[in-house]
Amino acid sequence: MKDRAAFDLLYRRTSAKLFGVCLRVLVDRGEAEEALQEVFVKIWTKADRFAASDLSPISWLVAIARNHSIDRIRARREKTAAMDDAVEVADETPGPEAQAIAGSEREQIHACLEELEEDRASAVRGAYLNGDSYAELAERFSVPLNTMRTWLRRSLMKLKECLER
Amino acid sequence: MTPADDREREHVGDDLLAAEYVLGVLPAAERQETAARIESDAAFALLVEAWEDRLSPLNAGYDEVEAPAAIKTSIDARLFGAPIQVSAARPGLLQSLTFWRGLAAAAVAAFLLVMALPIMLPPAAIEPAERLMASLASEETDVRYLVLYDAASGQVGLSHVTGEPEAAHDFELWVIEGDSAPVSLGVIPAGANVHMGTSPQQREMIASGALFAISMEPEGGSPTGQPTGPVVAAGDLRSI
Repeated sequence: MKDRAAFDLLYRRTSAKLFGVCLRVLVDRGEAEEALQEVFVKIWTKADRFAASDLSPISWLVAIARNHSIDRIRARREKTAAMDDAVEVADETPGPEAQAIAGSEREQIHACLEELEEDRASAVRGAYLNGDSYAELAERFSVPLNTMRTWLRRSLMKLKECLER
Repeated sequence: MTPADDREREHVGDDLLAAEYVLGVLPAAERQETAARIESDAAFALLVEAWEDRLSPLNAGYDEVEAPAAIKTSIDARLFGAPIQVSAARPGLLQSLTFWRGLAAAAVAAFLLVMALPIMLPPAAIEPAERLMASLASEETDVRYLVLYDAASGQVGLSHVTGEPEAAHDFELWVIEGDSAPVSLGVIPAGANVHMGTSPQQREMIASGALFAISMEPEGGSPTGQPTGPVVAAGDLRSI
């Protein structure tokens, strides 16, 4: 079946990136492997939605993997209130892997993030890449949860304004 | 406060919620509520998509990590464990333009082929220019074509993937805009990679986001100027 061949090709081209997403958010390798399977099953069954989306194919795929992984970790972490090692990784600015990749769109978002206060930009990046919750970010930055929410909401609106400039 | 102010406040609130959802910071219960809203509220879904697009450059921060080979085997078992049924194309559905649209949206294979496109076409075909592509497919047939439209030359390039017309029949390519009657681009020549020209009127239709479809017609093309045989594949144009 050609559909199947196309799916194989899609898997070969995108599974490493999507596994990277699952692993970064979930940290636990076994759980990330399970999540990756579920993500590809979702991709196959939800492919018709892509026709209605304006996102680029890879952005659409990463969004599915991110949302799925974040849902999983949110369900897990709310059961175990303890903070695990995953959180420690979270406040890092993007690693060399991220900085190596150029592109005007990417530069623009980073220029816009730089307009934010440093810890806020770091909270936005950490939240996006690691799937940190408001509660986890509040604890790490030692501020009340509502303060964190206000910080991030303001940062997001500033970011949007900057990107639309 | 005027009703317009209320609407504005509501919009800002929704936009923030969409942003928080995409950023991923919401607690489990709120995430679930928001995900349900995306399904039921198209305007809200657009706000979410705009944020996904806005933040997507951050995806460069994710490393690529090779997944163990066993994962693909498990996925295949889950998806293709049972044989896939392929039924013959049903005639008579052609009259319904809603069906054409539905068919295009439902074409799972179309999406997969869009993803595979850069590999399947020679590199020269993907130079940056104003190009639109459509993957023409149907869940009911094995007919698959990739269409690449080059706005500069007005040429439609067709890559044949699978599926052949019945004996004494030809495939005919149509362009359909909104609810208007399909306009023929002609009979598709045989061959793996073929080109077809377009008229200025057809170019205008294509530029405004028309749908492509292929029907099976008697040899030499439809005798009436409108599709007479079954639709064997269809797809929406996307910019690449």
